Amino acid sequence: MRKRFKIGSLLVAVGLVLAACGSDNSSSTDETTGDTPADTTVEAVPVEIVIALGSEPTSLDPQLVDDGGERAINDNIYETLLSREADGNLGAGLAIDLPTRIDDVTWEFKLREGVAFHDGSPFNADSVVATVERIVKLVADGKTQNDGFFKSLTGATKVDDTTVRITTAAADGVLPSRMYWLKMLPASAKDVADLSDSSNGTGPFKLASRDLGVNIVLEANTDYWGGAPSISKVTYEFIDESATRLAGLKSGKYDVITNLAPQDAGEAPVVATAQGQEHPVLILDADQGITSDLKVRQALNYAVDKQAIADSLFGGYAVVDAGQLLSPSILGFNSDLSAYEYDVDKAKALLEEAGVVGKEIQLVGESGRWLKDKELLEAVAGYWTAAGLKVNLEILEFGAYLDVLFDRENRADVVYVSSSNDILDADRQLSTYYQAGGIGSSNTNVDLKQLIDDGRAELDATKRGEIYNQAVKIAYDEAYFVWLVNNQDVYGISDRLIWSPRVDSKLLIKEMSVNS
Amino acid sequence: MIRYLAGRVVQGLIVIFGVTIAVFVTTRLIGDPVNFILPLSASLEQRARLRVDLGFDQSIFVQFMDYIGNVARLDFGTSTKFTNQDTLDIVLRFLPRTLILVAAGMIIAFSVSIILGMLAAIRPGKVTDKILVTLSLFGLSMPQFFLAQMLIVVFSVRLGLVDIGPGPWTHLILPSIAIALPAIGRLAMTVRSAMIDELNSQYVKTAKAKGLRRRRVVAVHALRNAAIPFVTLAGWELIRALAGFTVVVEGVFGVNGLGGLAILAIRERDFFLIQTIVFVVAIFVVLINIVIDVVYKFIDPRVKLT
Repeated sequence: MRKRFKIGSLLVAVGLVLAACGSDNSSSTDETTGDTPADTTVEAVPVEIVIALGSEPTSLDPQLVDDGGERAINDNIYETLLSREADGNLGAGLAIDLPTRIDDVTWEFKLREGVAFHDGSPFNADSVVATVERIVKLVADGKTQNDGFFKSLTGATKVDDTTVRITTAAADGVLPSRMYWLKMLPASAKDVADLSDSSNGTGPFKLASRDLGVNIVLEANTDYWGGAPSISKVTYEFIDESATRLAGLKSGKYDVITNLAPQDAGEAPVVATAQGQEHPVLILDADQGITSDLKVRQALNYAVDKQAIADSLFGGYAVVDAGQLLSPSILGFNSDLSAYEYDVDKAKALLEEAGVVGKEIQLVGESGRWLKDKELLEAVAGYWTAAGLKVNLEILEFGAYLDVLFDRENRADVVYVSSSNDILDADRQLSTYYQAGGIGSSNTNVDLKQLIDDGRAELDATKRGEIYNQAVKIAYDEAYFVWLVNNQDVYGISDRLIWSPRVDSKLLIKEMSVNS
Repeated sequence: MIRYLAGRVVQGLIVIFGVTIAVFVTTRLIGDPVNFILPLSASLEQRARLRVDLGFDQSIFVQFMDYIGNVARLDFGTSTKFTNQDTLDIVLRFLPRTLILVAAGMIIAFSVSIILGMLAAIRPGKVTDKILVTLSLFGLSMPQFFLAQMLIVVFSVRLGLVDIGPGPWTHLILPSIAIALPAIGRLAMTVRSAMIDELNSQYVKTAKAKGLRRRRVVAVHALRNAAIPFVTLAGWELIRALAGFTVVVEGVFGVNGLGGLAILAIRERDFFLIQTIVFVVAIFVVLINIVIDVVYKFIDPRVKLT
């Protein structure tokens, strides 16, 4: 009796495991038979898709928050004066062309005619003026998280209905990029404190419903000036857990999931990638401690096998950072630079010369905020140990970690950060991490600081690019960082969805279609 | 009874006040949320300014007095994560999803565990008992995150029977089972051992001796007496589920309930939201405890509510 009972429970357990693993054959037949009827009827019925995002928008006001979830939604509802092409270059948007410079602080935009907001009100110079004035006021009142993007703006004036001039406090070469970032609001929005409940853009989709914690639904704007989108309705759900997003994709519920984990890529029906803007990097204290010696900083670069990190840790969904924190799609990317090669012997020799073999080095990071952060730090610590240093790896809780990253008095020897740049303008990373006094910078190089200031003030795009080329070259030669990799944005998409991801990470539904 | 309830309500208010202070102080001890709100590239001046705006530059005492004053006017503060949203408003929107989930899970757990426990107790040591005990141990020792993933893999991905994520009530089937299973394990064991005790007691023997039907003896006489430990543990399961133990299940199934909201609030240092969540949950815990006491009295009139 006892034995039979044991066998019974064993069978139950084995049954469960078998059911869970299943055979791939049987499951794929299940899926196809389940999907086929739906696919064949797609032609006639409106096309609806479901997207799983990792985080919920914290607001639907396009000006208040700096939040990826908000952008994912509002990028489809609102539009900007300029847009970016697939390669990252700026092009026309609600403005019919790039702006012309009137003087150092004034830019003139010609607006597209015949564009209307979702409520029917026209898009014209008044809308632009209201939009700019609202953000200027929000910045002045400290009510927006987008201060960094827009604090150079001072106002806008209407020339005629389709011509508007935007002014800046000082010469600002970043202005065109900023106008790729500033979503255009109707004139009536000017004095509204929070637009979350009165969504009204010119974009191809309009807000249908928002159920906090559940979903956000958008419907196609059939009157869209660029032509009605092929997808008629999109539902966004917010799933923090990456494995759950994947399960929903596999079960056919989702058409797009964001941030597919590299180790899960083989599981997704289709994997779509773009060379994104995320660069994990290590900031070295160039002024004090063990890293104040250039030889040590160079050694730290030579000691790390970046290619191995890209291949194994990120499963090939990353390329080695060419020593500059900028992606190739960004103006200022220096194509003459290439990553410090992996050379342990050279690293050892440099550490020997600097007389720091066996010395302690502090490496501060966090865990869980960015892709594979802890694993990355452990790998780097391993490489440095192999090169002959005693690595003191501190993996802190995010709040404590930020305190170290932002500590302007005592810079840690090495701080890990993952830098992103969705606005695709070099000024963002450079003024934050490269420029002396920047909140995450660990050097006091006055020449570099000047170059970054010059770059911001340069209005000619070609010259700006050249200035940034010089700036990143200086930082490269001085090895102010250990550059690691440039992550790809990895999406899981369903078999039926047709879409190629963009270098600026925007999830534009108008660029998606469904295979019928 | 009325007097007793009044006393318990006062006690409950003291508990809630105590919890409020504790949460307020502990959140303030982990540093201010300004760095979490602003993007990494925000300047030091911008950070300092927001700190003043939100009042986090004040001493904990001043902040607390402000907070208590506002709570007295039913203003629980504005979320820093969900910009410009009232925290009570947010909590009340997320709460029903957790309540429904917990209710469904507990209804399954309570009914299944009573039946299983009784079946096991009728003939202790025999096959039915052994199978049920093994299954119970299986249920309660399986980590919830694993159990939840397995349910998704089997029923959603492989068989395609139910969807996951937010949506109609069918989405609740898997998560409520995931919540119920470990509770069934624990509760069934309790019902079983309590029933075995009762079934071996003198009054059951007397009842059997005077010729009552076995079914009546088990289901009416013994069960009612075995109910006291069951209610105690069931109340504990309910509180446990409400006070945060649905977090794992909510996360895995993407339920977007209070548990997930709490994690988000803690991760993003949304102090006012954390405070409001704890406040609301504390009210539930106090209420459930009062209900349990009343249920005791109802089951066993010998219990004195003092």
